[in-house]
Amino acid sequence: MSKPRVAIFDFAGCEGDQLQIVNLEEGVLDVLGQVEIVTWREAMKEQSDHYDIALVEGSITRKGDEERIKAIREKAKILVAIGACATIGGINCIKNFQDEKFVRRYVYGDKAHWYNTYAARPVSAVVPVDANVHGCPINREEFVQVLKALLQGKKPFIPDYPVCVDCKKAGNVCVLLKGQFCMGPVTRAGCGACCITEGAYCWGCRGLVDDPNMDAARELLGRFGISAGEALGQIRLYDGYGEEAR
Amino acid sequence: MGSPSPYLPGLATIMKIEEQTAMEKLFVVRPNDGKPLGHKPGQFVEVSVFGVGECPISVSSAPNKKADFEICVRRAGNVTNALHNLKAGDVIGIRGPYGTHFPVEDLKGKDLLFVAGGLGIVPLRSFINYVLERRKDYGRIIVLFGARTPADRLFKAEIASLARRPDLEYLETVDVGDASWKGNMGVITTLFPKFTIDPKKTYAIMVGPPVMYRFAIAAARAKGLADDHIIVSLERKMKCGLGKCGHCQMGPVYVCQEGPVFNFAAIKNLEEALS
Amino acid sequence: MGGDMNLAIIEKEGLHLFVAELLRRKNTVVGVKDQSAVSSIPGDSGFYTYAPINSPEELTLSFDVTLIPPKKYLLPAYEQLLTFNLSPGSIKADAPKEELIVFGVHPYDIIAINQMDKVFSTVPQDNHYLERRKRTTIIGVDPVKIAPRAFWSSMGADTVAGGFDLMLTDIGQCYVMEVGSKKGASLLKMAPKTREAAPAEVKERDKVRTEARKRCDANRLSFSYLELPSLLDGKEEHVIWEEKSHLCFSCGTCNLVCPTCYCFDVRDDVSIDLKKGSRYRTWDGCLLSDFAQVAGGGNFRGHRADRYRHRFYRKGQFIYRRFGDIACVGCGRCSAQCPSDIADPIAVFNRLKEGI
Repeated sequence: MSKPRVAIFDFAGCEGDQLQIVNLEEGVLDVLGQVEIVTWREAMKEQSDHYDIALVEGSITRKGDEERIKAIREKAKILVAIGACATIGGINCIKNFQDEKFVRRYVYGDKAHWYNTYAARPVSAVVPVDANVHGCPINREEFVQVLKALLQGKKPFIPDYPVCVDCKKAGNVCVLLKGQFCMGPVTRAGCGACCITEGAYCWGCRGLVDDPNMDAARELLGRFGISAGEALGQIRLYDGYGEEAR
Repeated sequence: MGSPSPYLPGLATIMKIEEQTAMEKLFVVRPNDGKPLGHKPGQFVEVSVFGVGECPISVSSAPNKKADFEICVRRAGNVTNALHNLKAGDVIGIRGPYGTHFPVEDLKGKDLLFVAGGLGIVPLRSFINYVLERRKDYGRIIVLFGARTPADRLFKAEIASLARRPDLEYLETVDVGDASWKGNMGVITTLFPKFTIDPKKTYAIMVGPPVMYRFAIAAARAKGLADDHIIVSLERKMKCGLGKCGHCQMGPVYVCQEGPVFNFAAIKNLEEALS
Repeated sequence: MGGDMNLAIIEKEGLHLFVAELLRRKNTVVGVKDQSAVSSIPGDSGFYTYAPINSPEELTLSFDVTLIPPKKYLLPAYEQLLTFNLSPGSIKADAPKEELIVFGVHPYDIIAINQMDKVFSTVPQDNHYLERRKRTTIIGVDPVKIAPRAFWSSMGADTVAGGFDLMLTDIGQCYVMEVGSKKGASLLKMAPKTREAAPAEVKERDKVRTEARKRCDANRLSFSYLELPSLLDGKEEHVIWEEKSHLCFSCGTCNLVCPTCYCFDVRDDVSIDLKKGSRYRTWDGCLLSDFAQVAGGGNFRGHRADRYRHRFYRKGQFIYRRFGDIACVGCGRCSAQCPSDIADPIAVFNRLKEGI
């Protein structure tokens, strides 16, 4: 049996997720041993239009992106969004709440008219996505888990419970107990609660769970003296395209 | 470990696969040790596709002396999808049989009213065939079968021969018919006015989707059946089959241990049983 | 040192030497540490955790409550059950091999372990758990510091009659050490500077326990915990379930930190070359939204309020009806760690008792 052909594409993003794949180091060879990478701008020269699995990083921010991602979708049997920009829109969506012209000028200066950008959005806003590897950046172990599941023809296990579950399994002190705010109770788990384990709080980079209790979140924020506006800002940091951020 | 792991499945080989509908396949399975499963009608097994996972599936064949048994599987999640992708000769894992069974002994001499909704025919088929192999041990037999559409009807050939039997009354319906369908249309309870029973001698054995029970039980009660003359088999999420993992719990009851077959009278006041 | 002592006295220095001796004999000892010593996060100081110890100095016996109960050693957060080849032929069960001494377990947590023992030894037995349990030595200690949300004194969990190998009580100058098993008796022989407890010292132990119980009574159930099963009868439609669960995140914290919660999920993992695999179990919780959801999509406990209610019924009635135990020992972990502070059993049960 020939190895599945994998192509890696990037859209608007920092390429940090591709870096995570490269950072698998020896592990990357094990993973790549199972597949044939045919397109990867970040790591190789050759390009091919024949692939089974497309890994897509970055958000869609202009009309041209749309055409490109649709063409990728047509060629790929399986399309996987990797990283917050691709799965939920990510940091790029912060600009959706600012004046488009101002943002364009701020970023591109006097070349602003060259770039016909629009509101940033996740890949799934344009084409159907078969699997998401959430996070900013992605968790390397989870990436490998998802890839293995896809190679097995099985639906990857992407948790639909909050980060608190990972946090308890990691044996962390709940940051709320330490008097700090945390997005963990409404944020999708799967990261192993890495930020809390390292002494930070959860910023919500994996997006909200399917049925977040926003009433409870607002109550929680109130307890920490955080205004509704600030709370919205925290959600918009990564999940600006999501329903709860509008 | 001093004692064997209760999670360790036995290996079994898929002998034959028969496509039933677009969603369901029937698998003939033979334990590699050649020993019969030793199940009773209504029990289930935990089926493993190694590397994918494990899930509970009811045994659809009647117990017999042969090692082969049958499971009918709907494509629903990762494990059942993987099962559908297997072929004859492939090896799977089997634990069990688990759970309670239909009271085949207690019901001897009684009239039996089988109510099968959709996939509910799968465990009931085990009992129906068991009864037919011992036909004279049981009284009158009525089988009601309801499917969503004609295309969703399972065991079509078997059902056809069942319908021709003189020693059994067979009624069926589909929720939604098609151009070729000449039979009854409507939910399964619409079949109830079409027959009469002696409620003292009759036991109803019902298996179907959760939504079916409330209506079918009401219809059975309207026919004069006492609650302890109604037997149901309930579906729940199960992970261990051993009364440990907690997923199948309804009130103090673990469905994998005290069920899946229950006398309705015993669970009718359980908050989560049939709501 | 005399022959068989059931109640011994060990000097504080002797206990130190005892722990050193256990370590010297290459035992794996886990004990309670300040969380900051484990996580290296300064802000974690003041919270306690079970972790391996390498010297007697690392051990804390004057903790109030640990973040996660010692169940993590008997039913680990992730536990491999089987290993196999994907093209089957070989499949084998994993057997725990390591022996473990858990040094410093409060009575309420021992009661919780006794309950888990009952659950996992009920036929069909779970030999993975039982094997681990057999290889675990429990050295109990009576609490001297009371956790702010603890209420074990009103859950019949201030003392425990069995389930430990040794049980320590700090009576000031020294510890009273009660032997609870043969294993405990042979351990005691390893301990230097022990002697039989004098009646006055046993009395002192009672006093220490009474003091602790009184301080724990600051939070309490307003009625006997044995009334819980009947109290919950017919309260399924009470407004409290809807009202309280309005703020439930379905995060499962109350389940995961509970010493009597044992539910788990079972999953398969595969090697990167897709040739070998393993089956493992991992903590699950009935508060999580998909806990009762079947593959077809149907969810038998799809509403937040139903899941919230299920947990309290499980604590106060279901486990009692099944195994004869009230499945809450009053450790207060759920009360303290629930993000919305809606998990406190005494808040719920006392209100049900008041009938409002």
